Amino acid sequence: MKSGAGFDNFRALIVEDNGNMRILLRELLNSVGIREISEAANGQAALAVLRDHNCDLILSDMAMAPMDGIAFTRHVRTNESSPNHFVPIIMVTGHTEKARVEAARDAGVTEFLAKPVTPHNLYARIAEIVERPRAFVRTETYFGPDRRRKTLDHYGGPWRRHDDYDVGEKPQ
Amino acid sequence: MSSKAQMIAPDAYPQMMGRAQAAQLSQALCSGASAVNATRIIANSAGTLREALLGYVEALEAAGQDQALVSDKAHEIKGFADTAGLPATARIAEGLCHYLERSRELGAPADAAVIALHVSAIGRATRDSDHGGQTSQIVTSELAALAARKLAEAGSCTAEALSAVNL
Repeated sequence: MKSGAGFDNFRALIVEDNGNMRILLRELLNSVGIREISEAANGQAALAVLRDHNCDLILSDMAMAPMDGIAFTRHVRTNESSPNHFVPIIMVTGHTEKARVEAARDAGVTEFLAKPVTPHNLYARIAEIVERPRAFVRTETYFGPDRRRKTLDHYGGPWRRHDDYDVGEKPQ
Repeated sequence: MSSKAQMIAPDAYPQMMGRAQAAQLSQALCSGASAVNATRIIANSAGTLREALLGYVEALEAAGQDQALVSDKAHEIKGFADTAGLPATARIAEGLCHYLERSRELGAPADAAVIALHVSAIGRATRDSDHGGQTSQIVTSELAALAARKLAEAGSCTAEALSAVNL
């Protein structure tokens, strides 16, 4: 991709404990014009990176120590010190068990990408994020992207429940 | 705090780029040129990734009967092997992951021999040159059949259990 096609000021963060996978992800991002890329080997190191550089997109592995991808995501979404609670997070992992996927979703990931990573799937997730950003939801127990993704034919919108309210409105 | 959900629409929080730029970027991401470039990158990385995969395989072999560790490493291998150009390793690791998950769901202890056979096959498939060849296919299907039988013995002789390991 030529410079100027959209990623000139775009900064990505790769959080992955496997150095070879970090290199691969970096090269895949580079090949579509993303040049500003930070790396971290676990969630804790990633938080330190985020303190110095805000970023537009995070690709995070799940199984890492001392802080895994789920704890990292939860921290980014809910911790007061987080520089950007809304940053898109793609969880890239080989752990596709239902319980882990649900845990990632409930921590606030934006997209879930099962390994093996294919360029098509990775780019499709990024395209989805930039072109169709998700609404966010704040409840007593959750803050993150709207987890309800199913489109209902009979749905009249704008929100799914009669007692949902838009930001800026006061709840009754 | 209210028990109601507060909804924050995409235009109510800062976006990384405007809509026109996002559409342009999306188009570039889905272009044929990007796909060709990326395929070349993955092909060029296969050798390095294979070396890294060997590290996971050695960790799996060292895990013994620590099922949590076996499961953890098997998932890593499952997610890594295809990208490293080792589809047979990926399929066997996937079979092991399915077997361990189904055993856990059934509340049945995983069979030590089934685990050991999968681990051995993963090691051989990774170090062998017969990636995806006939021997690998036979081993993969035999292991799947063994896992299905053990799950059936554990009291889950259902079509769902059998299909879960039918690779």
